[in-house]
Amino acid sequence: MPDLPIAVVPHPFGTRSREALREIARTCADDIARLLCEAGEREPSRQRSSVSAPRASLVEAPADPVELNRFFIRRRWGDGLPISAPTHEAVERMLRHTRRAPDEVVATIAPGMGAATVEYIAINAVMAGCYPEYLPVVIAAAGAVATKRFHLQAIQATTNPAAVWLIVNGPIAKWLEVNSGSNCLGQGTWANATLGRALRLVLQNIGRALPGEMDRATQGQPAKYSFCCAENEDASPWEPLHVERGFAADANTVTVVGALGTWNMNMTAMHPEEVIAMLGDTMQYPASSDYIYGGAPFVVLSPQHANLFHAAGWSKADVKRLLWEASKMRAGRSRGSEFERMATARRAELGEIAADTMVPISEKPEDITIVVAGGPGSHSVFVPVSAHTRSVTQEIVLTE
Amino acid sequence: MTGSMFVYDPVAPCLTEPQHVRPALDSIAGKTIGFIDNSKPNFNHLADDLAELLIAKHGVKEVIMRRKRSASEGAPEAVMAELVERCDAIITGSGD
Repeated sequence: MPDLPIAVVPHPFGTRSREALREIARTCADDIARLLCEAGEREPSRQRSSVSAPRASLVEAPADPVELNRFFIRRRWGDGLPISAPTHEAVERMLRHTRRAPDEVVATIAPGMGAATVEYIAINAVMAGCYPEYLPVVIAAAGAVATKRFHLQAIQATTNPAAVWLIVNGPIAKWLEVNSGSNCLGQGTWANATLGRALRLVLQNIGRALPGEMDRATQGQPAKYSFCCAENEDASPWEPLHVERGFAADANTVTVVGALGTWNMNMTAMHPEEVIAMLGDTMQYPASSDYIYGGAPFVVLSPQHANLFHAAGWSKADVKRLLWEASKMRAGRSRGSEFERMATARRAELGEIAADTMVPISEKPEDITIVVAGGPGSHSVFVPVSAHTRSVTQEIVLTE
Repeated sequence: MTGSMFVYDPVAPCLTEPQHVRPALDSIAGKTIGFIDNSKPNFNHLADDLAELLIAKHGVKEVIMRRKRSASEGAPEAVMAELVERCDAIITGSGD
């Protein structure tokens, strides 16, 4: 919104006293009266076609790897880690893994509304270190984050530590060796590391969410470098995520999630009811946007816990319903403006909220998503999700 | 440049530049001003104070307030349509 006038109020604003606000209003009213009478300065530009965009341009850069990285970081083209040089040859090699034209616009990426052409996606994937055959996954992920349902604007520009988590389903996960087992959310796998990183570079270089500028994260989180895994379909007793969402079992998909973090839950209890109770207790926290607005959180169940539940005769839908009940939180645990925001945001759904109202984490049990991933061990993971975003699953289109 | 190579610039162009220049008001006196309260803490109080001042000091005819459910959601279509219909200018905020 480069043309909009902005009246500036001093930060922090939300914690000011009532009297301090009156003083701010006195200055701000004069600014508003003046700004509304000033014409915009930018000349109108004709909106281009949404089907194609200019091709990327080559620039001269140092050949020395250290100097090349300094060159990228100075221009804010990198994420702070060493990049692979996006040479013409490297990008051409990657483009062979799609039938789509290099100048085809896959999506526009908020907040900068940059044109995510196939070529620009490939450039950023090369920089991230992706193998050429990973390109269709990154293209699908770029399309998914740009859907209205995902609400990327809110993820990219928020003060929350919102990272985009990629979950790969279908046979492609094995072809590309995306880790779904031990340490699948950790280090050590080329595909997991570079696929997540490629999307981060797309979000930064095409979406223009630069840290400290349009990316307003107060602290951020390490997962903003890369956050990607596959579902452990072989170890899951239930239908995998993409089948649950209407895709064929042999389809290849990527799911994008606006994740606020990962919280480990170590539970060696033998009774499924005890594990559900502990999961539900852990999911509750009063400063959570899931509870304030009604969220769409994820739970990554270890194969051990998923199979414990399955042995009890529970379907995935049963587990969601049990978790939804077990994770209801007493509204009074949220205080001050968080309580007020919850009362405002969830009034239509829950009626008037009092301190003793039990507030569910999401509007419906089905809004909780369960993924089975990880290796042997008694650990499952809670993944709270950024406000007003809903995960999106997109098919990965391969060349053959 | 000694020891140089050619690489692609990874920053994509924006395809959605504004299509027309924002019009300016000649004065806000006698105009109707809308506020979209984005539910950020304190913005409702600031908007109340601004409404008083804009009317008392700057001669604004009327201020219309509408509150969004939360900051990161867009205002409902019906609210947008109403404000566009009734207002000469609309202010939203706060961004923090």
